[in-house]
Amino acid sequence: MIAVDIVADLNTEDETGYVWTFLDEARDPALIVPGTLVVAGDEDTPAVAVVVDLLPHPNGTIVHLDVLPGAIDNYLALARRVTATA
Amino acid sequence: MVDLPELRATLREEPVLATATVVVRGGPDSIAKLSAHATRTARAYALDGVPVLGISVFAALDDIGMASLDGILGGKLSTYRVVHLITAGDLQEAGFALLPTFGRPHLTLLLKTIDQVEPLLDMLGPARPNPHYGEMTGRRRR
Repeated sequence: MIAVDIVADLNTEDETGYVWTFLDEARDPALIVPGTLVVAGDEDTPAVAVVVDLLPHPNGTIVHLDVLPGAIDNYLALARRVTATA
Repeated sequence: MVDLPELRATLREEPVLATATVVVRGGPDSIAKLSAHATRTARAYALDGVPVLGISVFAALDDIGMASLDGILGGKLSTYRVVHLITAGDLQEAGFALLPTFGRPHLTLLLKTIDQVEPLLDMLGPARPNPHYGEMTGRRRR
């Protein structure tokens, strides 16, 4: 099973064109820093995303995520390959 | 009560959806997931001053390009192995309003109460394979 860093509905968008969710849906909010690669979505639909920004909201902090294309398995395979050849 | 951003301010001006328009959502969905997503939307947005229970979907508005069915499946939803497909007419006939919100072809499906999640899930039916899963076209990038 893949651990999801931040739960989000990857169907969402707002006026920025990015997926959004709330910071308190992260398993460790300290991980959620602009520019960081994270796993977003849920256990059934994890995807690799870049944290774009964090914005204050009346009910918390909004996190914008730039979801990267492709299957997460491709990213895992890349990580295994470069680790094995290091 | 906090002053939430108004969803109505995000509406696009465009023709009323044809009943045959295909509406797409990355899945698989469940009652728990749809409830969580609708509640998250209500935490973030209001409609006419009232927190709004909403579910994000995409509409296949064009025959080609990023707002076509293939464009959505291979673009915004390419990270989903499976998707739910339904027509706008079926949703509207069942009493679900669809608002054209944010960028094209995003829509917000409105729920009157959280109890509508179960009938919505029934209508969405079983998820089916996304033929464009894993494609590298990607979502719109800034």
